[in-house]
Amino acid sequence: MTQNAPVHSIEIENLTKEFTIGPTTVRALRGVTAQIVDGSFQFVLGPSGSGKSTLLYLLGALDRPSGGSIAIDGRRINELSREEQDQFRRTEVGFVFQSFNLLGNLTALDNVLAPFLPIGVSGELRQRAEDLLVHVGLGDRQRHRPRELSGGEQQRVAIARALLKQPKLVLADEPTGELDHRTGAEVMGYLRDLREELGTTVVVVTHDESYIEPGDATMRLRDGLVVSD
Amino acid sequence: MWRFAIQNLVSRPLRSLLALAGLSVAIAGMVGLFSVAEGIDRMVTDTFSRIPGLAIMQAGAPLPLFSRLPASWAEEIAEMDGVGVVNPEVWSRVNVIEGKRVIAPPRFLFGTSIAERQKLKTDVYRDAMVEGRFLDQTDQLQLHTVISRQIAEDHDVGIGDQLKINGDEFTIVGIYHCGQLMLDVSIIVDIDVVRRLTRFERTTACAFYVEPDGTVEKEVLVERIREKFRGREIESSGNIAGALATGNPLIDLLLAIQNWLGGGTPDAGPETTDAESEPIEVRTSDDWAERFEEFSSDLNLFLSVMTSIGVLIAVLSIINTMLMSVTERIIDFGILKANGWSRRDVMVLITCESAALGVAGGVIGCGLGLVGTEFVNTTWPDRLQLYASPPLLIFALFFSATLGIAGGLYPAIWAMRLSPMEAIRRG
Repeated sequence: MTQNAPVHSIEIENLTKEFTIGPTTVRALRGVTAQIVDGSFQFVLGPSGSGKSTLLYLLGALDRPSGGSIAIDGRRINELSREEQDQFRRTEVGFVFQSFNLLGNLTALDNVLAPFLPIGVSGELRQRAEDLLVHVGLGDRQRHRPRELSGGEQQRVAIARALLKQPKLVLADEPTGELDHRTGAEVMGYLRDLREELGTTVVVVTHDESYIEPGDATMRLRDGLVVSD
Repeated sequence: MWRFAIQNLVSRPLRSLLALAGLSVAIAGMVGLFSVAEGIDRMVTDTFSRIPGLAIMQAGAPLPLFSRLPASWAEEIAEMDGVGVVNPEVWSRVNVIEGKRVIAPPRFLFGTSIAERQKLKTDVYRDAMVEGRFLDQTDQLQLHTVISRQIAEDHDVGIGDQLKINGDEFTIVGIYHCGQLMLDVSIIVDIDVVRRLTRFERTTACAFYVEPDGTVEKEVLVERIREKFRGREIESSGNIAGALATGNPLIDLLLAIQNWLGGGTPDAGPETTDAESEPIEVRTSDDWAERFEEFSSDLNLFLSVMTSIGVLIAVLSIINTMLMSVTERIIDFGILKANGWSRRDVMVLITCESAALGVAGGVIGCGLGLVGTEFVNTTWPDRLQLYASPPLLIFALFFSATLGIAGGLYPAIWAMRLSPMEAIRRG
């Protein structure tokens, strides 16, 4: 590796994923090989059904690949035990979903703290969660439930939830998909702030290429294969 | 975790309330049913604990009412070592009081030898006097009586008032209150008065109550009395069958139990006994307790079967509630798993929810059961005596919590196995 060569924190090697739906086998990924640079803002682009979200979920250890491997900082996450995968998701990865995916019964603050509920929430952690909500402009909405928040506000809660872990990797699946452009840009701004402040690698799956800025990395998928990057 | 679980339940109030109602009713039913058995148990234990002496009756007679013994045997028993007092008793069912037919609760004319009774160190009725006085020598051959507070209240009479029993006017000289269904049925009168009014032969008594003098072990005394009368003959004094039904369901049940315990209802024959047979039964309070314990275990088995029907419905209700709840929240579980919740964490959450339902159902069910038994006892004090003991309530509470956990287990395992990705994709 030369002095200026990018550090590839994520190495994807010949990744395949097949789903069996009744008698039909769907090949969502057909052998994806790619690298994602540490601390980059990586867009994954492609039409519906191209395998973008599947790739994202595999990166987050939400599912196991049918073949190939994913190595993050040299650790093959597809070979982790179930408990290690849980731990990986709890501490190292933050997810942001298109439909916000907040828990309707919990307040904004409790949603941010949700990953830590089983292991207990310390006072310090709660304070950090409150600070994060203030940071994303929801200081006065902490006790509100998701149904009392707008779409943009809900997505900001989801971002705060992802940030609380101070993750090495944030995976965002169509994070602006249900937002108007102005709110979408605002949400994307928070993700960019995150990368700049913490050096977090951010992987964003999107249809909307208008959010891409110079310097962002892109990967384009079609029919389960990388067609350009 | 618990707070989150309860929030989840509260967020689906109707469904949670329905599951809670199903479980509460089942637990209340369980408490109610078992309080019948416990009530009988307590009543029997309490009743016989107040009668520390020996009851001597005709073999096979379920109650003194159905027993006939030669009155002269009292003197023979009194002469035995270890015997303090022998009090002959004559029992007769009361059919009419103040012109009203007595069906339920039953009432009994209890003829007792006043002279012998005064010698007793412990007398269940004399010790329970609340008004007036107990019978004394001045009441011999007189239509004087001591009645229970219940009977006095039923007929709105007091000390000095007249009470017409089976057509005869009695003067009330005292009122007792034992607070026990099996004891508060007695209308206590001089034994010879009862014999005369009921055409009961002077040579016969229903039973003897023996108060030991304490010089001989009770068990030894029992065996000596049995030995003394073994092989003796008892002349029949008429058909005593046919009077079993008292009209009171609980008393009838007790009679049936005693009949079963005693091995059958006595009837007119055989009129004599052979040399090897026992003409009498000598019962101690321990004998009664032992026999009732055996009966209680059978009754509990029966009640368990009855309860299990309600419990099964309650468990299905919880499974249904939790399964519906889990199905609705598949996406939530996907989100939680995406955020690092393990399969075990998800399972614990769902189990906490169902356990919370179980505990709440148990508390409400026990409360309802307790209120129900108190209501029954207060409304029909002379007919039923139910008792929901603290151990029964604690058991019901734990049982309900266990049911809740068991009911939530299948939905929890189902949710646990869901792939987070599949769950989120459904969203």
